[in-house]
Amino acid sequence: MAAELSLIKPISKFPKFSSPRPSANFRSYISMSSAASTETKRPKKLAKTGIKETLLTPRFYTTDFDEMEMLFNSEINKNLNQAEFEALLQEFKTDYNQTHFVRNKEFKEAADKLNGPLRQIFVEFLERSCTAEFSGFLLYKELGRRLKKTNPVVAEIFSLMSRDEARHAGFLNKGLSDFNLALDLGFLTKARKYTFFKPKFIFYATYLSEKIGYWRYITIYRHLKENPEFQVYPIFKYFENWCQDENRHGDFFSALMKAQPQFLNDWKAKLWARFFCLSVYVTMYLNDCQRTAFYEGIGLDTKEFDMHVIIETNRTTARIFPAVLDVENPEFKRRLDRMVEINTELLAVGDTDDIALVKNLKRIPLIAALVSELLATYLMPPVEAGSVDIAEFEPQLVY
Amino acid sequence: MVAPAALSLGSCAGLPALQAERAFPSAATPRKFIYGTCASRSKTLFLSEKRSFSPTAAVTKAVAVDSDQLGSSDPSEQEKPKKYYFVVANAKFMLDEEEHFQELMFERLRNFEERNKEQDFWLVIEPKFLDKFPDITKRLKRPAVALVSTNGPWITFMKLRLDRVLAESFEAESVEEALASNPTELKFEKPEKWVAPYPKYEYGWWEAFLPSGAGKEQA
Repeated sequence: MAAELSLIKPISKFPKFSSPRPSANFRSYISMSSAASTETKRPKKLAKTGIKETLLTPRFYTTDFDEMEMLFNSEINKNLNQAEFEALLQEFKTDYNQTHFVRNKEFKEAADKLNGPLRQIFVEFLERSCTAEFSGFLLYKELGRRLKKTNPVVAEIFSLMSRDEARHAGFLNKGLSDFNLALDLGFLTKARKYTFFKPKFIFYATYLSEKIGYWRYITIYRHLKENPEFQVYPIFKYFENWCQDENRHGDFFSALMKAQPQFLNDWKAKLWARFFCLSVYVTMYLNDCQRTAFYEGIGLDTKEFDMHVIIETNRTTARIFPAVLDVENPEFKRRLDRMVEINTELLAVGDTDDIALVKNLKRIPLIAALVSELLATYLMPPVEAGSVDIAEFEPQLVY
Repeated sequence: MVAPAALSLGSCAGLPALQAERAFPSAATPRKFIYGTCASRSKTLFLSEKRSFSPTAAVTKAVAVDSDQLGSSDPSEQEKPKKYYFVVANAKFMLDEEEHFQELMFERLRNFEERNKEQDFWLVIEPKFLDKFPDITKRLKRPAVALVSTNGPWITFMKLRLDRVLAESFEAESVEEALASNPTELKFEKPEKWVAPYPKYEYGWWEAFLPSGAGKEQA
C-alpha cells in the first residue's frame, strides 16, 4: 500500500467521534502528530539519532472479513466481472518488479552524507513509509487468506499484492539500516492497534491511498530525474517502477468497486466518495505542510507538489468514484491554505506550557474554525464522475 | 475470459524490427497458448491479404505448447487467423494526456525484454480495422490511436486502467493486416497551463511501439 495510507489514519474516528476524548482525537486527525506510536516502536539499535515522539506511524487496518466473503462469493453476487479479475491476476502474476528492488552501496554512502534536520526527516519518511507498506501487507495477506474459498481469483490477487507490499516494506526497512535503525515488524504486528473499517470504506480508502501514492512517487521521481542535484538518497531512483505497483493495486480496488455497484451508484455513495477525497487530500496537505523541510530538501515546493498530486489523483479518481471534489477551483486551494494556518495555530497551542484544560479551551475556537472550513470545502459543488462502464453520462461521451 | 495469450510464431513474420532479435524465445519463457479461432468474420474483414486463406483451416481448439517449441516457423501456422484485442480513443488522450499509459507501455516492454518474450502489443495510429466498427468510429474523435494486442486479458486490464476508451476485438490472418494504418501526422497543442514540477514525456515516445510498416520507425 502506498505510504499515504497513513493519511487516512484518523478517518475512522472522524465520522463517529465515539472516543471519550473527541477533541484529542480530532486533533490527531488534523495534526497527524499523535504520540501513540512511541510505545510500539522499538528500534533494534538504540535510536540515538532520536525518533521524534510525535511521529505518526500509520495505523493498521482490519475489516469485516465475513462481509468480504459475502461480497465476493460469485454464487451470491452475480455481478462479479470475473474477466476483469482474471485480467488483473495475470498482471499481478507477471510480477514486473520481481528483480527491481536490489540495493547497492550508494545507499549507505548517501545516508552517511545526510546530516542535521534533513537526516532526521529522512528517517521519519522511511519509517512512516515502511509502516504504511507493512500495514498494507498485513491487510492484503489476511484478505488473501480469508477469501481463498469463496473467490480464489480475488484471493490470489490479494496475496500477490501483499507480496508487493512486503517487498516495498522490506526495501524501506533496509533503507533504515543505512541510518542504523530498523523497525521490528513482527513486534509491530502484535503491538499495534488495528482500526476497523467496513469493506466499503476499505475500498474507497485504499483505492485513494494507492492512487495518491502513485502520484506522489511518480511526481518525486520525475522531478528528481529533471533535477538530479536534489537526488540526495538513491531510494527515489526506484520510484518509477515501484509506483506502478501502487497504481495497479488501485486498479484492483477499482475493479472491486465496479463489482459492487451499490458502493458507486447512489446518493450515499456520492457523499462518501466526496468525504473520502476530502479526508485524504486535506490530511496530506496539512501533513506535508508540517514537513516542508523534507520536500524542500529534495527541491520541491511543498504546496505546489501537493496541489499537483491532488489534482492528478482527483482526475484519476473521477474514473471510478461517482463524484469527486472540484479541486481545480481556486477556492479549494484557498480553503486548504486557511486550514494550514488554523492547524499551525492549533499546534502552537500544544507547544505552550499551559495546563491541559487551558490548552483545550484555547483549541475550541480553532477546531470550530477548522470544522467550518472542512464543511465548506465538502459542500463546494462537486464534479460528477464515474467509470464509463457505469456512469449515466456515458452515452454522451466522445472518446 | 480465457487467456489467448502470447500467440503462435506466425506473427514473427510480420513483426517490427524491434522483435526480430527475440524471435526465438528461451525455454525460460512461460508456457504460451496457441489459439485457433473461429473464422466466421475474418474473411470479409480483410481486403488486402496476399496469402490465400480457407476458413476451414481454422480449428477451434486451444493447444498448450512450451514456448521453446515455438521456435520453428511453420508456414501453416501463419495462415491461421488470430484474434486481436484493442482499446481505442483519440490520439490526444492516448498519447498526450495519459502519461501513466506511457509508463505502462515501457514497463511491459522492459518485462518482455527481460524475459525474452516476443512482443505482442502495438500502438496503431488511425488503424484501418476501425472501418469495420461503425459503432466505435461514430463516437471517436480523430485521429484515433488503438492499443492492439493478441493478449485479451491484458487489453481487459488496459480498459480497466484507461476507462475512457472503447474495447473490441477482431480476427486477422496476419499481423501486418491487423496493424495496418492510414498515415497521419499527430499534432498536440501544448497544455495551457503545465503545473507539474517536471516536463511532459517527449513527443514521439510511442514510436517504439508502432508496427514497422507504419511509416515512423524507431532509429
